[in-house]
Amino acid sequence: MSSQRGRSRVLQATRKTGELIMEYFSKAGDAKAQGKPIAWITVFTPVELLRALDIYPIAPEHFGAMCSARGFALDYFEEAEKKGYSQSLCSYSRCGLGYALSGMSGLMPPPDLLVTFRNSCDVYVKWWQSLHMHLGTPLFVGEAPYVLTSEDLDNYVLDYVVKQLEQLVRIAEEKFRLRFDMERFVNIIKLSDRASELWLETLKLRRSRPCPLGGRDSASDIFPLVIMQGTEEAISFYEELLEEVRKKVTKAEGIIENEKFRLLFDGIWLWHAFSLIKYFEDRGAVFVYEPYSEAWAHRLDASKPFESLARKVLAMGLNVDIDLRIKRFSESIKEFQIDGAVLFSNRSCKSWSAPQQVTADILSKKLNIPHLLFEADMADPRQYAEDQIKSRIDAFLEVLGET
Amino acid sequence: MTIATGLRDLCKNPATILSRYRDSGVKVIGYTCSYVPEELIISAGLQPFRITNIGADASALVPSFICPFASAALENMVRLEDFFDGFIVAHTCDPMWRLYDILKMKISKPLFLLRVPHNTDNELSLEFFKLELMRFRKFLEKNSKATIDEKALFGATRLCNENRSLLKRIYMLNDNGHFKINALDRFPLVLASMWMPKPEINAQIKTLHFNDSKSDGSVRLHLNGTSIYDIDLIRIIGESGGFVASDDLCTGSRYFWNNVEESEDPISALSYRYLKRTPCPSQGPIEDRLEYINFMIKEFRAQGVITFAGRFCDPILYDSVHIRNMLSKNGVASTLIDYENATQEIGRIKTRVEAFIESIGG
Repeated sequence: MSSQRGRSRVLQATRKTGELIMEYFSKAGDAKAQGKPIAWITVFTPVELLRALDIYPIAPEHFGAMCSARGFALDYFEEAEKKGYSQSLCSYSRCGLGYALSGMSGLMPPPDLLVTFRNSCDVYVKWWQSLHMHLGTPLFVGEAPYVLTSEDLDNYVLDYVVKQLEQLVRIAEEKFRLRFDMERFVNIIKLSDRASELWLETLKLRRSRPCPLGGRDSASDIFPLVIMQGTEEAISFYEELLEEVRKKVTKAEGIIENEKFRLLFDGIWLWHAFSLIKYFEDRGAVFVYEPYSEAWAHRLDASKPFESLARKVLAMGLNVDIDLRIKRFSESIKEFQIDGAVLFSNRSCKSWSAPQQVTADILSKKLNIPHLLFEADMADPRQYAEDQIKSRIDAFLEVLGET
Repeated sequence: MTIATGLRDLCKNPATILSRYRDSGVKVIGYTCSYVPEELIISAGLQPFRITNIGADASALVPSFICPFASAALENMVRLEDFFDGFIVAHTCDPMWRLYDILKMKISKPLFLLRVPHNTDNELSLEFFKLELMRFRKFLEKNSKATIDEKALFGATRLCNENRSLLKRIYMLNDNGHFKINALDRFPLVLASMWMPKPEINAQIKTLHFNDSKSDGSVRLHLNGTSIYDIDLIRIIGESGGFVASDDLCTGSRYFWNNVEESEDPISALSYRYLKRTPCPSQGPIEDRLEYINFMIKEFRAQGVITFAGRFCDPILYDSVHIRNMLSKNGVASTLIDYENATQEIGRIKTRVEAFIESIGG
């Protein structure tokens, strides 16, 4: 174990994400000062469309994750709870609402527009409605019906989303007296597609043994793909990352030394207990695949920009049928040579956590993959029992060592 | 007015009627939510049966922090699967949506997810929902081996409209400060309408006679929430000196408030009715809900509002902040009482109800 502790296990490119995030938020302040509209969005909103309209998108979910990671979230939780929001509600939403209710004097400038798409979770809608009620900011709620079969990506379901994207453009044009530039939109779609291509290529390299990119990298490296889609900066970041990861593969250099166990992580990372990943790594376990890392990576067709973007909105995150999600689990186990799965039952994300027990059963019984299922909260440290979780991790790794 | 003992017994254990259906060869479709059009199920010659939490504990298939109602409803669907010929789950909130995922892995009966748009005031949603209802129609036709023709759909719509009108007529007896029908009699009629054949329950409702208006000094209350099947929650309000004058519950006024237009395009009429109905906490603009609650309070002269919230019910917990803010601005007293298992916690809940009623002069 001691040999694992000697070296840094985060990529050079990953180290730049902190600066990238701060710069992105800081530019939001500049945009606001220049009179550009600011949209507060949920993370599965098509940022490409907003960018084409010259609306600056920021995601309170990122803000929540960052506050949690840096230990600032508690004041915002308490502010929201004081105003009546139950502690059992999504911690990202309590952080975002607490921030909104306490004057919005930090990193996120006040919104001019609230945009959410109902893919992945219904809490988005309730959270965004609450912001709308408190701030009086106009609200756009987009629908992305659950994708039951791949046919939904081509039938009336797709059509419904395409029309809503067009509707969003009209509303924004009218509200902010903007003009939607199709040429600019097509270019943004191309840039977004390129960033996804680079990221997917990088993720593929995690199939190598030893794995060149770990959980701490993937958790941070996803940031530009979520919010900076359609920018040259995102592409530069992913080019640099891919190059670094390729070099590591060529040198057969893993992100940890003495890789013993290759793991799948199902869930959102615990931002306040990020060191938990290191706890695994210290014991020779590396995360090689997470559905979370693939959630925003979608190839786009610039010749059909609206349709293509609508498909992305539909197929993002948890918005595809469980059969398709389990199929992906099954493929990933083979592709990434996975030894075990860690499932984080997240009190904040009921949409993700509710079917995890049946997923775990399938992992154990049909796919023959040992799993660890533990409960905590992604951003609220008050709902985290570290000692208990660590002893369960120890027991899990012991089982893996015996299989 | 006295309702039949059989109806009260049915409310205590709705699953009893399932044996009757099985013995008489009636095919039953279980559905989870008042956004599922019973009209379509009936027009396929099937009996709709609303799934409840009654008689089940929380399911071990979901974590403890999932809404206890959804968890117990899941348990009931798995436990009682043999009585059903299929299940319909409506995507309204996260737990209900994810029941579909879980059931897909755990049951063998035909299963359908009805994707109900949240954005009910968008014209695009009406068109989408119409197409979704057509998919639902095909599912029912395939699994019942029946054809749903316009005549059958028209007949079923008329039957459901009659039921809703009867329930609404009774409900309206308490408007303008009247005390004509006690909630303990009224709620079982609504619940039984979700479990019994419509002609049967409609006939029973038509035989009821009502008392003259009389005030007994009770505090008039509006009841806010999602679905309440535990009649004890209604009983303790009466025992504590309260009178449930109005409600916005999926097992209350939201079930019957709006009728379906009897038109030549029945699917469009259904799409319109189910999206434009009084919204549940998961659906539609929150302003519509606030307006409806305000209307109810005025129309039924409620002096206070009790919100019953299943613990971890996200939609009601978000909404409750805005409902409380609005009521406080309007000078109406309100309280939120949450619980995991109403039967087990009934003593604590009653203490809260008593304290609230006392605080507003009961």
